[in-house]
Amino acid sequence: MSLLRLENVTKRFGGLVAVDRVSLTINEGERVGIVGPNGSGKTTLFNLINGVYIPDEGRVIFNGQDITRLPPYKRAPLGVGRTFQIPRPFASATVRENVAVGAMFGTMGGQLSVDQCLDMADRYIKLMGLEAHSEKPAGSLTPVEKKLMEIARALAMKPRLLLMDEAMAGMHPKDIDKMVQLIKDVSDKENIAVVAMVEHIMRAVVGLVERVVVLHQGSKLVDSATKEALEDPKVVEVYLGHPPEE
Amino acid sequence: MVLEQLTGNLLQGLVLGAVYGMATMGLSLIFGVLKVVNVGHGAFIMVGAFVTLWAFTTLGMPPLVAIPLAFLIGMGLGFVFYYSAIKRLIKAPELASLLATFSIGILLEEIVKLIFGSEFRGYNWVVPKIDLGVTVLPMSKLYAFIGSIIIALLLYLWFNKTRAGTAMRSVVEDTEGARVCGVNVGWVYANSFAIGIGLTVASGVLLTMFIPVGINPYMGGGYTLKAFVIAVLGGLSSPYGAFFGGLVFGLIENGSYTLFALIPGVEPFALTRFLSFVMLLIILLIRPTGLLKAK
Amino acid sequence: MRKQSAKYSPFIPVLTIYVLIFLIGKGVSGMWQVMAMLTFYCALGQAFNIFLGMTGYVDFGYVAFMGVGTYGMALTITHLAERGITGPAVIVLGMLLALLFPTLLSMAVGAVALRLRGAYFAIATIGVNEGFRYLIEGAKIWNGSEGIIFMSELNRVLGREAASSLSTFWSDVFLFVIATLAALVTLYFMRTRIGYALTALREDEDAAKVMGINVTKYKIMAFITSACFAGLVGAASWALKTPYVFPPEVFEIHYTIEAIIIVLLGGAGTLLGPVIGGLIYGLSKYYLSIFLPGFQLLIFAPIIIIIIVAFPEGIMGMVKEKAKGSSLARFIV
Repeated sequence: MSLLRLENVTKRFGGLVAVDRVSLTINEGERVGIVGPNGSGKTTLFNLINGVYIPDEGRVIFNGQDITRLPPYKRAPLGVGRTFQIPRPFASATVRENVAVGAMFGTMGGQLSVDQCLDMADRYIKLMGLEAHSEKPAGSLTPVEKKLMEIARALAMKPRLLLMDEAMAGMHPKDIDKMVQLIKDVSDKENIAVVAMVEHIMRAVVGLVERVVVLHQGSKLVDSATKEALEDPKVVEVYLGHPPEE
Repeated sequence: MVLEQLTGNLLQGLVLGAVYGMATMGLSLIFGVLKVVNVGHGAFIMVGAFVTLWAFTTLGMPPLVAIPLAFLIGMGLGFVFYYSAIKRLIKAPELASLLATFSIGILLEEIVKLIFGSEFRGYNWVVPKIDLGVTVLPMSKLYAFIGSIIIALLLYLWFNKTRAGTAMRSVVEDTEGARVCGVNVGWVYANSFAIGIGLTVASGVLLTMFIPVGINPYMGGGYTLKAFVIAVLGGLSSPYGAFFGGLVFGLIENGSYTLFALIPGVEPFALTRFLSFVMLLIILLIRPTGLLKAK
Repeated sequence: MRKQSAKYSPFIPVLTIYVLIFLIGKGVSGMWQVMAMLTFYCALGQAFNIFLGMTGYVDFGYVAFMGVGTYGMALTITHLAERGITGPAVIVLGMLLALLFPTLLSMAVGAVALRLRGAYFAIATIGVNEGFRYLIEGAKIWNGSEGIIFMSELNRVLGREAASSLSTFWSDVFLFVIATLAALVTLYFMRTRIGYALTALREDEDAAKVMGINVTKYKIMAFITSACFAGLVGAASWALKTPYVFPPEVFEIHYTIEAIIIVLLGGAGTLLGPVIGGLIYGLSKYYLSIFLPGFQLLIFAPIIIIIIVAFPEGIMGMVKEKAKGSSLARFIV
């Protein structure tokens, strides 16, 4: 069964159609990249899956449930997790407390005591290599450490689907490789589907995702396996501005 | 007869409303440009009232002359508070500027109390009354009305015909965009705050021309609530919206007072003030961005 | 079990302070009133902190909850006395109404205002205390602007002697109990999901929503709890001390100002903060009243502005920073 299904989702802001009848299916454990330049509708699409926006037309189905009109705080316990491009830590709380929040209000939130959430936080902090900073206020971390904490916090939610918003922008290529491997491992081990949003088809995406969806001006241009998408002339045209040389 | 009474009532409401509206323009300007809510608004109006009192009783200045004096004093205070406190709080969480402006208001009240004492004062500006047919107005109220309109017009000219004013408008629309276009946003912040406070203090003069009694350090509180009702009525960031919101509010307040006075067993003055509060809640519920979308 | 007791160890310094204040009050002659006043400010600060400190939202109409709590007690005493019901149970019932009224008012205000974000919420609360006061006066509810004088009813309910010891001693004891309870509830919030949710929504409301937190629910929780304690403080320190209720006095914005000063001075969002803030403010006000009466706001207003600009975390916030990693850290929260 598909985990996430977008059916002809459309979102308008005034006269501008940000997302134009996009249909998309993500299966359990799948890793998909959503690619497109600024203005292609990526962020809006993310926000529609997440609940920050409600679509004007179309439906969002998650795990068989119609979540089209659900507010974000109700989607999280169902299994929709998200990281932000510019990390949004709860600055005055410690790293440990931050990640614990993920556990407390995520899919397993109802079954865990506060102490158990703190223990789970420790596990994911360790996974991300942040043990040394565990008791520091989250606001004092470096930008890269904050990104890692964002991911740990999202993972602590025990999501079924993880929306990663340009998570690896601005990271050192070596770190990107490590991160990609880490996410692949977690995704496989815990059966988390990952939707990574990036501006360009980059090193990060190629290593991480099996499938790529290219957006262009709000519509889906291409939706195929990574390799084919990279070679698709339509994609090349969108990025280079003219049809590929014959 | 009833129609005459009603028209008379309406006129009084409009005259009052213009003054209320002008008193709120500073609040909307400051929120529009700096996104700071001046919770101490009423205290600045109070300062204007005391400037009028002092100018009248000590310097023998008629209130009309006190208007530009009050404006300048207000601008001075605005610069002082901007550079000492507000400037550092623009990037801080909202709570900080809310509490800071609130505390500034308290500080002003206490300083004025220290200088002038807390008794209720007033002044007696002897002016003729003018008969408008449907109602009678003392000239002071008429002056206040005209004064408010003139100030509102001046503000309009400032925002639309001067470079500085246009720069301010651009910051209201899009701060980052304005910055990128070369607007000195820091300068705009400081001057907008100063002008906003100047307007507020000047409005205190106009308000005393309406009610030249009951001047005391704690008189501002009632005006703060009214100002916020008017401001959200007109759209928190728009000074023009504030002016028209003031007109609407003046009409409603005057009209409701007359209505309440007809109901036995209630105190109309108190109920009118309760009504302001209800209006605030209703507007915030339906359209916090303002019912009158004037730019 | 060990983990449990360690969790609540920050309560120990708070309790110690209150017990000390109580003992000084009882032991040193002439100090009872001062100590009672200090407890009033600590209790007020703690009650206010549950909302301001934990959510980062400011309720400018806060005193309204103290006011309606006072009315709750006054009305209970008056109405039950009329029906011939007497005894301490009346006071207990009065306390319950002092809880009920603020709950109802906070639910009504919260339903409207808490859907609004930060600044809009603050604006919405600006008129609450005034609005409610003018409603009572305007519609002549509960005797309108004349207020309620219930000295004779109180004497009837408890007997002259007991009523007198209530206003000079037992009402203050109630204040101690209320202050202690408020501290316990604050710590309880901090140690459970409620506290985590509140911290999250205070730091970044949108991110908190995305993490699965129903921010409105938690805001309302904090709001009502804070309001209830305000009602109890009002009932204990006003209704039970001076048997009359007079609208302009019990809806006086002055108390909201003092609550803000106490919380910010001591450290918003901390457990010990309001206690320290209450002590400092209370003592300052007391000593100032001897040399420079009426000057405390003039002195504290600029102090608060400086705190907001330069030391937003307040005294306990800074102490917490310094104490990190030390053995005392687990007591300072």
